[in-house]
Amino acid sequence: MKTNAMQLINKLGREFGIVIALFVIVAIFSAIDSQYFTVANLVDIIDQSTINGLLAIGITFVIITAGIDLSVGSILAIVVVLIGKLLTNMGVDPITATLAGIVLGFLLGIFNGFLVTRLKLQPFIATLGTMSVYRGIAYIITGGWPVLNMPQAFRDMLDGDFFAIFRLSILILFVFAILAYILMRYTRFGNYVYAIGSNEEATRLSGVNVDYHKLMTYGLCGIGAALAGMVMLARLGTGEPAAGQGYELNAIAAAAIGGTSLAGGKGTIIGTLLGALLLSALKVGLVVVGVDAFWQYIATGGIIVAAAYFEVIQTRLRG
Amino acid sequence: MEKPVIEFKNIGKSFSGNAVLEGISFSIQPGEIHAIMGENGAGKSTLLNILHGIYTPTAGEVFLAGERTAFSSIQDAIEKGIFKVHQEVSVIPALTVGQNITLGYEPQKGLFVDYARLNEETDAILQRLKCHFRSTDKASKLSTGEMQMLAIAKALFHKAQVISFDEPTAALSDNEVNAFFDVVRELKASGITIIYVTHRLNEIFQIVDRVSILRDGRYIGTYKVADITREQLIKSMVGRDVAAFAVRQHQGLVQAETVLEVRNLAREGVFSPVSFQLHKGELLGFAGLVGAKRTDVMRVLFGADKKTSGEIFVKGRKAEIKSPVDALRQGIGLIPENRKTQGMVRMLTNADNVGLASIKKFCRLGFVNHAQKQKNCETFIEQINLSPRDPLYITENLSGGNQQKVVIAKWLSTDADILIFDEPTKGVDVGAKAEIYRLMEELLAKGKSIIMVSSEMMEIIGMSDRVLVMREGSLEAELSREELTEERVLHFAMGGEDSFENECNAAHK
Repeated sequence: MKTNAMQLINKLGREFGIVIALFVIVAIFSAIDSQYFTVANLVDIIDQSTINGLLAIGITFVIITAGIDLSVGSILAIVVVLIGKLLTNMGVDPITATLAGIVLGFLLGIFNGFLVTRLKLQPFIATLGTMSVYRGIAYIITGGWPVLNMPQAFRDMLDGDFFAIFRLSILILFVFAILAYILMRYTRFGNYVYAIGSNEEATRLSGVNVDYHKLMTYGLCGIGAALAGMVMLARLGTGEPAAGQGYELNAIAAAAIGGTSLAGGKGTIIGTLLGALLLSALKVGLVVVGVDAFWQYIATGGIIVAAAYFEVIQTRLRG
Repeated sequence: MEKPVIEFKNIGKSFSGNAVLEGISFSIQPGEIHAIMGENGAGKSTLLNILHGIYTPTAGEVFLAGERTAFSSIQDAIEKGIFKVHQEVSVIPALTVGQNITLGYEPQKGLFVDYARLNEETDAILQRLKCHFRSTDKASKLSTGEMQMLAIAKALFHKAQVISFDEPTAALSDNEVNAFFDVVRELKASGITIIYVTHRLNEIFQIVDRVSILRDGRYIGTYKVADITREQLIKSMVGRDVAAFAVRQHQGLVQAETVLEVRNLAREGVFSPVSFQLHKGELLGFAGLVGAKRTDVMRVLFGADKKTSGEIFVKGRKAEIKSPVDALRQGIGLIPENRKTQGMVRMLTNADNVGLASIKKFCRLGFVNHAQKQKNCETFIEQINLSPRDPLYITENLSGGNQQKVVIAKWLSTDADILIFDEPTKGVDVGAKAEIYRLMEELLAKGKSIIMVSSEMMEIIGMSDRVLVMREGSLEAELSREELTEERVLHFAMGGEDSFENECNAAHK
């Protein structure tokens, strides 16, 4: 009976574990403060996870290939200031600006991929470098000043009300997540990405164009960062060159909590999405309950370590 | 009879309810070379791991020199004089030879390692083993054979009374094997007991005194090597007759059509220009010692490494093969030498691994039809006789022979016409070997062509229609089936008239 229960947990996998953890967190905070379990607050939790969720989904592609992208926060910053300039100084219409943002993020990601696949740099070092370079570019573009007064049309398009309940940015997150899920689960591209992360050499020797697929994961990661940047721009109405500093670590945390292995070959989009929600539920909960902000760091760290340990136990059960 | 140095009494071991070993009882005499044989999955490694304290048996007892023992860890076993030389010798490349040998037991002088003593002690051992490297050499510079010697030196450093070897010759060239045998004989002469796990039948008859056979986790029997024939040995291992398994059942499948022509293909600094042709239905063997660069030729041919010159023609047409992607397009497949790092993708299922190179077959607009992929795998499971017959099984968890079959199926699924098998039966058990040979013949009969790189003489002689012999990066000879003898192949592999001298040099390298 006990082994059956274990097998069931194994079969349902990581995602199920996070869902349970999510319920536990919601239950605990709701018990402490009934304010927590209100529609408005639950919507807020999802809202708060949008930006990190977009970044995390993007980075999941890269991490599954056994790579990493530390520059996502800086890509976000370039997109924020450059698209901000397009919208304000140059008066570009919101749709064109958004598309330009996506292309920009993609190209910045592709440059990371170029460093990794062509120059054969280690992903950690390559993107540590571009993290700094991209950040510098963001500052240079604005001379250090924020870009102010985003047009209302742009703000409404990306982050306006959606049936008076949700904000539109949630839709962006879920559409991106669904596309990413389909890509990883049902396409040749996804198959190859998992294979590359699990054994790059064997995949190459199977006649798969490994470099191309790795390059594309960095491009997709850049798109995730660009979307996150534009949601942020729409939400705040201003674009700061300092935006997104340190966000790469939250994104990695969400992916890791969701079961993505930094060693590559393992991870799911749903897991990452749940990981981002979990972090957000925790953060919102601590605020609602009124815990000192400093404690949030400890709680976030604790969750990451606990999730990693859960992984170890699961592997042991299987062995 | 003397009192046995090791006695297994009714040993059993289960993993989560599955019995891997059951009722194993036999004993090992002091100073003998005792082989443990059986197919992959017979339980040899599990039994060794129990002896070395890596696993605790779920039933039965181990006696060491008459005393009941239960080692709690491998360190515990080492301190009692039982040492294991691992299947894939683990050497830390960044350390020196001496640091490797003494790792964890370095002689100390106060707070510091006493390097003078460390090097003196290890050099003495290396001298005894007639090694040509010294304690202060970096371990990263050692060849595979030398790493093996390092492991033996480590055993002697720990004053081991019993040394076990798990597939010690799998990665060694013939010269290195001979040097290794000399050392093993000397260890025996100095009273050390040797336990020897191997798949290679020849070795049993060369150096082993007695052999114990396991099959499906059960003990079959212990035989004096002098009293048993090769066929009897195979029969008791597989429980059926595998008469002469590396022998062609069908000859004359070779057709006139040339499917592959290689002209002056070279990679500077690795191998000098090679030219050869491959015909439809032909099995072309590539013989040579380890280090003859046969694998490098295949990797260049397959586009995995860059060529510096030469041309490749596939079915009469010039083929630009710059990457494995191009090779795949030309209908060339490679079953690489190292299954674990180059052949299979660890975390994937059989269906994914089999479909990896041919995924386009079951894709529409980039979307994978998983049901079709699974069905594709099932047809090949049938053809390659995979066990278990489950497309959703994780390939990594299969036995070595079955993993190899999956890698082969990956290329069958692409319908490649030219298949390169690099050491196709390395680390594969007897039963699976026979099946791989049978599969190769089936492919030839279907008009496929095969290049087989192999260091196993039996395989080269038994299976090839024609053999090319390489030595130190150059093509030395072409032998037709009629000209093929073990002596001839060795003659060219070692380098013509002065072969004996070369052999000595190679052994010293």
